[in-house]
Amino acid sequence: MKLRGPVILALMAPALALMAVLYVVPLGVYFINSFHEFRDGRILPAWTLQTYVRYFTDPFSYRVIGTSLRLSFVVTALAVLIGYPVAYALHTRVHRPAARAAIALLLFSPLLVSVVVRTYGWLILLASQGLVNTTLRGLGLIQEPISLLFNMRGVVISLTHILLPFAIFPIYSVMDRLDLSLKEAARDLGAGWRETFLHVTLPLTMPGIVAGALICFTLALSAFVTPQLLGGGRVQVLPLAVYNSTVEINWPGGAVAGLTLLVISIAAVWALNALLRRLPTV
Amino acid sequence: MSAAAPAELAIAIREARAERLRDGALRAILVLGVTFILLPLAIVVVYSFSSVAYGVFPPPGLSLRWYSHLFGLAPFRGAFVRSVVIATAATGVALVAGFLCALALVRSRFPGKEALRGFLLSPIVIPKIVLGVGWFIFFARLGLQGGVVPITLAHIIVVLPFVVNILAANLVGLDESIEEAAQDLGASPLRVLWHVVLPQIRSGLVISGLLSFIVSFDQVESSIFLTRGENNTLPIEMFLYMEKWQDPTIAALSALLILFAAAVLAAALLVSRGTNLRRMLGR
Repeated sequence: MKLRGPVILALMAPALALMAVLYVVPLGVYFINSFHEFRDGRILPAWTLQTYVRYFTDPFSYRVIGTSLRLSFVVTALAVLIGYPVAYALHTRVHRPAARAAIALLLFSPLLVSVVVRTYGWLILLASQGLVNTTLRGLGLIQEPISLLFNMRGVVISLTHILLPFAIFPIYSVMDRLDLSLKEAARDLGAGWRETFLHVTLPLTMPGIVAGALICFTLALSAFVTPQLLGGGRVQVLPLAVYNSTVEINWPGGAVAGLTLLVISIAAVWALNALLRRLPTV
Repeated sequence: MSAAAPAELAIAIREARAERLRDGALRAILVLGVTFILLPLAIVVVYSFSSVAYGVFPPPGLSLRWYSHLFGLAPFRGAFVRSVVIATAATGVALVAGFLCALALVRSRFPGKEALRGFLLSPIVIPKIVLGVGWFIFFARLGLQGGVVPITLAHIIVVLPFVVNILAANLVGLDESIEEAAQDLGASPLRVLWHVVLPQIRSGLVISGLLSFIVSFDQVESSIFLTRGENNTLPIEMFLYMEKWQDPTIAALSALLILFAAAVLAAALLVSRGTNLRRMLGR
């Protein structure tokens, strides 16, 4: 069916109305708060940049931003480093479509269950007498239980697990579309597995890696449940700062922290998208 | 038949050995990867049958006490029903608005279309906590607080981008000549939509509906300021419970949720007749 102007507008009207009222306006109201000031337990009506000034002159803000960035980098790197071999193994070792679909479904399945449930699973696994510590001690790798909860380690492990499917699937889908005859050609020409992998497979699957990293990084930056439940107050990241300010009725402070989080997210998306465009397409 | 030169033979043997080693290593990686992914879910199910409140592996004994404790807690029951109602309503609205919007996006050409599409997809990128505070202030100013309505409205925006993206991807590939044929035979545009367009994107509708239900059901930070105890959704009820207690009551509830997710997935797979899962990721 060909659509004409008024029809197009009518079709889009419900979605656009919802977006205008429930998205643009609330975000606008939110950011307007950043131009007010929170003092003596209340929000002053006067317009000011004071909240920005205070936020960006406070060393604590930079510590929070630093923690957020460090956590996101580490978790993204781990998710890609673990996700790539898993995707590669699935692509190269499993050939029956039904088996592939079944394994893909298993890898995808945690996403069907609430992030609170998954975080709870890690709470049990990482406890001082939990499975991880018991196993490590059983193997003789450690003598005393290592503390994996309520610090950065637990948050990194749990968040890596939560984001892993988002790294595996873009990489796997690029491998799936990869022209395998290119690999065969490289091997026919006498290149070994290492050369083939380094000079053919890896460069061709780079778009999948970048796409996966993009999703992981933005999701890690805005992660809230995991740092809150497993960080034990020691992993102060931006979403927690926004949450805490809002709980303390300091909407202006929360708005500035949230805006910072938003700008970093958008910058990351933009940078990785720019990288994606420079890569050869499959 | 001449024998291969000894040097070539040695290389061939070495390569075969390396190939076997790689094969084993990759199979091990796959097993480890799947184990790592499933481990937290499996342990939750094990712990739901634990006989003690504290976290120790392996649990010293088995019992059903956490299930009976869970069923005694009314807030979880209410929260579950609320979450299902919210997820269903948000998914329904998003499917209707999202389908119409995706159709218009795919079947039209106008300046600024890509920017509009970017705008419609942008809620995916915005940190949920930012949206959550925004809705908190917005609904507080409107005086619309409590109940399921504000949370449902918020969730519509959270899931709409997924629906638009997946349905647009499904609509792109349709053969328009079938619709033209139906119209030539006298079908009205509405009948064409209902009998020709919708059946062709059935798998897209199922997948985007399923995804929005799951995404809505999993919202914590976008909704945590919209709840005030009496109208907690299930993940928020669990989150707040976990901040205070860490006994296996949550494990029992989680085990039931894992079962619920498996049932929903099985039903969806049945309805869509084993459709392509990768479309779920919107790529």
